[in-house]
Amino acid sequence: MERRSLAATIFVHLAALLLLAVILAPVLWLFVMSISSTPDLIAKPLHWWPDTVDLSRYGVLLSSVANSAGQAFVASLFNSIKVAGMATIAALIVAIPSAWAVSRTPSVGWSLYAVIATYMLPPVALAVPLYMALSWLGLLNNVFGLALVYLTILAPFTTWLLKSGFDSIPREIESAATMDGARLDQILRIITLPLAAPVMATAALFAFLLAWDEFFYALLFTSDQRAKTLTVAIADLAGGRVSDYGLIATAGVLAALPPLLIGLFMQRALISGLTSGGVKG
Amino acid sequence: MSALELVNIRKRYGSVDTLKGINLSLASGEFLVLLGSSGCGKSTLLNIIAGLAEATEGDVRIGDRSVTGVHPKDRDIAMVFQSYALYPNLSVARNIGFGLEMRRVPAAERAKAVEKTAKMLQIENLLGRRPSELSGGQRQRVAIGRALVRDPKIFLFDEPLSNLDAKLRMETRTELKRLHQMLGTTIVYVTHDQIEAMTLATRIAVMRDGHIEQLASPDEIYNRPATRYVASFVGSPPMNMLDATLVDGTAQIAGSQTVIPLPSSLRSQASRKVIVGIRPENLSLALGDPSKLTIEAKVEVVELTGPELVVTSSIGNQRLTASLPPRSQVTVGSLQRFSIDADGLHVFDAVTEKRIDA
Repeated sequence: MERRSLAATIFVHLAALLLLAVILAPVLWLFVMSISSTPDLIAKPLHWWPDTVDLSRYGVLLSSVANSAGQAFVASLFNSIKVAGMATIAALIVAIPSAWAVSRTPSVGWSLYAVIATYMLPPVALAVPLYMALSWLGLLNNVFGLALVYLTILAPFTTWLLKSGFDSIPREIESAATMDGARLDQILRIITLPLAAPVMATAALFAFLLAWDEFFYALLFTSDQRAKTLTVAIADLAGGRVSDYGLIATAGVLAALPPLLIGLFMQRALISGLTSGGVKG
Repeated sequence: MSALELVNIRKRYGSVDTLKGINLSLASGEFLVLLGSSGCGKSTLLNIIAGLAEATEGDVRIGDRSVTGVHPKDRDIAMVFQSYALYPNLSVARNIGFGLEMRRVPAAERAKAVEKTAKMLQIENLLGRRPSELSGGQRQRVAIGRALVRDPKIFLFDEPLSNLDAKLRMETRTELKRLHQMLGTTIVYVTHDQIEAMTLATRIAVMRDGHIEQLASPDEIYNRPATRYVASFVGSPPMNMLDATLVDGTAQIAGSQTVIPLPSSLRSQASRKVIVGIRPENLSLALGDPSKLTIEAKVEVVELTGPELVVTSSIGNQRLTASLPPRSQVTVGSLQRFSIDADGLHVFDAVTEKRIDA
């Protein structure tokens, strides 16, 4: 490591702490709100830390009593998992062959740029056509319909990401496998996809997060517990005459948990550098 | 029966002719080196033989069977790539055995073949490792092993030594030569390194701009280069090329009074502009022996490389390099008389650049 003066070291650490604070403060505040009692939340001046810890809202949201806020919340939680999960898997299924094809056939690379260009359209421009299409297919207020819409958002993105992943795998390795007698499916299964595992994991994670956080289309295309996702359910909590900010915060904390768990789980797959050693170096 | 035959191979990328009609025939057990600078089409030709690229025109025959349109895996060939192209996620053993695995060779038989190959290449203690845990030289051996284990009709090597350091490159070169002598396999080997070509090949095809400039044994390529290009490409330091005019059986060096009498076989040639080629090692210090061919030049730079003394001097405005024994007495700035070995003169036509023979 290069030599640094004491002042520079202190500065670097302070900067890191500041960054940490900026990133974590909202999350921390969300959590504090979720365990504060209502009087604490509306007190003036603000109570930064509640006098009493109130965990009742977690119970409310996770209860399964019929027609309760809890039932609606849990249903939307499962809807979100279903929609984001299906859209992510479908996006990978679509993206892997197309990304590989574009990566290995540079002459058709323009087609990917054309797809990416559609990505630049604001979602609202597509809202009406998508609504009419879903309506025609009978897939309004349906998790499959919503997953299909999300697929149109995720597929270009995952294809793009995977293409750069495939680009980094030398073609000579696949040529060698071809000469060794491997069929295309064997090359992909035994050689290329294992080498692309880190970038596939990254693509899956980001796709899932994108679908998980989506609000606009979910709000338009779902109307009740059969298909409403978390983002819409949280918005519903704020929609009444009285907004329980603590409850909204609690829902936010709970909504952040599944992606967090997936992220932790995927961390092992995200280890990169697997390609080193196959070619010169 | 020829192991490999190329019939009028042409390759066109858009409007660019990369290969302009390659014809050659290779006997079984030959070691053919395709030698040329980058962009001459040698790698393209190798890829066409391998089946990784298709020729625009012409036919490739392996073992008297046309393989045009035949998939690489069905051509009975194996290839060693410049980058080694090992499978990073598989063990060394599985890397070597991959070709057999894909051909559904039973596991026990496969393991035996892999072990035998590994032993031959002295990498049997590395079989459990991943490519990333190997040194460059070891990776190279694994790549060679992967080709060897399948016992194909033809081996293709694409600049296999260019990623190794100088010492390892020499060792591996010797190793390759030994393997070839031991196994008697047919090899096509692409390189831009003339030393590799000279040491390894039974025949060298010097390529330039998509055609074969000369196809001959290393000895002939070196001692009887067919064109000026071949003469200047092979040899280090490169051959001296002096512009001259052919007059009455002598060569008058341009820009100087020097006249070199030519061998009797060249006396009858018509007057014209020529290039006289003299290899640096065919020059020596003239020791007052008037019967020999001599040439006088002004010494400019003297470099001792260890085994030899490289003397750069000038005749008029042309450069003359001589490789002399290390203890030769040469003074910078002096006029020095060099004698030329009798068979050390190569004469090329200045226009066609082809060798002029009797």
